[in-house]
Amino acid sequence: MLHQEIVVENQRLAREADIYRLVLKGTVADTAQPGQFVHIKVGSTLDPLLRRPISVAGINRPNGEITLFYRVAGRGTRLLAGVRPGESLSLLGPVGKGFTLPTAGELLLVAGGIGIFPLFALVEAVDRSQVKVKMLWGGANRDFLEAVGRETLFQMGVDYAVASLDGSMGQPGLVTDLLASELNKKGVLVPETGEGNLLGSDAGCPEDWGRKAGFSVAACGPRGMLRAVTELCIQAGAPVEVSLEERMACGVGACLGCVCTVRTTDGALERKRVCQDGPVFDGREVVWDEKD
Amino acid sequence: MKKIDLTTRLGPLELKNPVLTSSGTYGFGEEYRAFFELSRLGAITVKGITPLPRLGNPPPRVAETPAGMLNAVGLQNPGVEAFLTTYLPRLEKLNTPIIVNISGFSLDDYGLLASMMPDHSCIAALEVNISCPNIKEGGLAFGTDPKSAEQVLAVTRKNTKLPLIAKLSPNVTDIVPLAKAVANGGADIISLINTLLGMRIDLDTGRPVLGNIMGGLSGPAVLPVAVRMVYQVYKAVSLPIIGMGGISCWQDAVEFMLAGASAISVGTANFINPLAPLEIISGLEEYCRRKGYNRVGELVGLAHR
Repeated sequence: MLHQEIVVENQRLAREADIYRLVLKGTVADTAQPGQFVHIKVGSTLDPLLRRPISVAGINRPNGEITLFYRVAGRGTRLLAGVRPGESLSLLGPVGKGFTLPTAGELLLVAGGIGIFPLFALVEAVDRSQVKVKMLWGGANRDFLEAVGRETLFQMGVDYAVASLDGSMGQPGLVTDLLASELNKKGVLVPETGEGNLLGSDAGCPEDWGRKAGFSVAACGPRGMLRAVTELCIQAGAPVEVSLEERMACGVGACLGCVCTVRTTDGALERKRVCQDGPVFDGREVVWDEKD
Repeated sequence: MKKIDLTTRLGPLELKNPVLTSSGTYGFGEEYRAFFELSRLGAITVKGITPLPRLGNPPPRVAETPAGMLNAVGLQNPGVEAFLTTYLPRLEKLNTPIIVNISGFSLDDYGLLASMMPDHSCIAALEVNISCPNIKEGGLAFGTDPKSAEQVLAVTRKNTKLPLIAKLSPNVTDIVPLAKAVANGGADIISLINTLLGMRIDLDTGRPVLGNIMGGLSGPAVLPVAVRMVYQVYKAVSLPIIGMGGISCWQDAVEFMLAGASAISVGTANFINPLAPLEIISGLEEYCRRKGYNRVGELVGLAHR
């Protein structure tokens, strides 16, 4: 579980000043799965104190390398940005429950902003001779989308559509608009009944839901987006997996710091650990309105 | 190489070494099984148990601070019945003395919890939590008033033969009256410190970071406060002490023992370095060897000379 891995690359992405690509060589690549993360010690002192959870974006087993992307957002990630190739980092992981890998049908990936990174690993892992994969991605503007992943999407040869908030690239608006039109196109989006919020209800989720729908959705991005994606998928009768983020301490499930609230099948509320029970959850079980 | 005697006697409780792991940071032990053989620890103190299951506080529950962190978990736990039926059998398999932290909201709760804990199992002692800062009622309230603290210990004492550890809160003006009170109430051992009440505010939202607004501060930042309190309690009370608060390396552990702790407990450091307890055990041994001590117990309270 604890590894020292060698930094192969730690580079700022062109034109997008605060996002870095970090490539690490070691043994995590042997077992890492799409949707899992590594818990990284940044700096060599006890301040900042805690490890940083970063999702795995690429797994290269033959080379023993994993690729991570992170945004410099505070002291910890700034320290991480200063690490040079050849140095080593302490990693705990791979941690958590990742995405389900479909073996047939269609997989719709929905990404908001830098939420695209863990979905790269999923695209790589899915057998695309058996599963039709399409990526829907939303970002602030053309500069962001170009710098962060459009090239990767192109190289992967995956079908994709983008949306930008300022309309400078793809469809103007949110990625959830893309998802709504995609679902409409398939004719699976049932109009809202007006009976209120479907979230957390059992409305229309029989056992064979996914099989009937013929496709599934995996999403990563801001919480509000994941909620909207889940709502659309419930209307469409599609299985949906979401990758959640939460402030985290131990990363091994011991401290109960990083919980999210879920409703179990018998209707009871439960607090699950994002680090071990997640970070990928069934969108339908997540209680999106967090109350005490 | 000279063999150092690491056995540690805490009143009625004898441990193979003085390094424990702290309640709330070590789950039910098994979360750390992947890192090393847990039977190498002096003891494991498991997550606080209440009479009924608790969901705990809404997230966010943790926030980083300078050389430390805040938590406001709010005693999320499966409740005593599920603990006894589901978790205790798994703890038996760890082959390590288990200390069960019990938390109540009334005197009756403490009595009930104590009476339900079996005398003959892997449970080596009960840690009576009168110092949780993250729940609205009970918890900290018992731990800041000497009379209540004494009553809690007395009720617990009446309901079990297991050794009792009273876990004290640092959120008081003077720790000594509390230490004396729990001694009078029947505690065999004193553990300190629990977390210091603190809070952080998010600059973007302008709102408190934690779902519970306030939380308990732990990590290296609290170490000198904890060392001071161990020193004061050692001077005032004759009960053995389990020292904790910001311990992340053997040097910290030695400092606590010199201040008067007979054993020490590793908490937040486990999150960053799961091997910290093992490194501390070997560091203590090496320190004794270098300084010419035969037993680790010889260090206890030396700072009071």
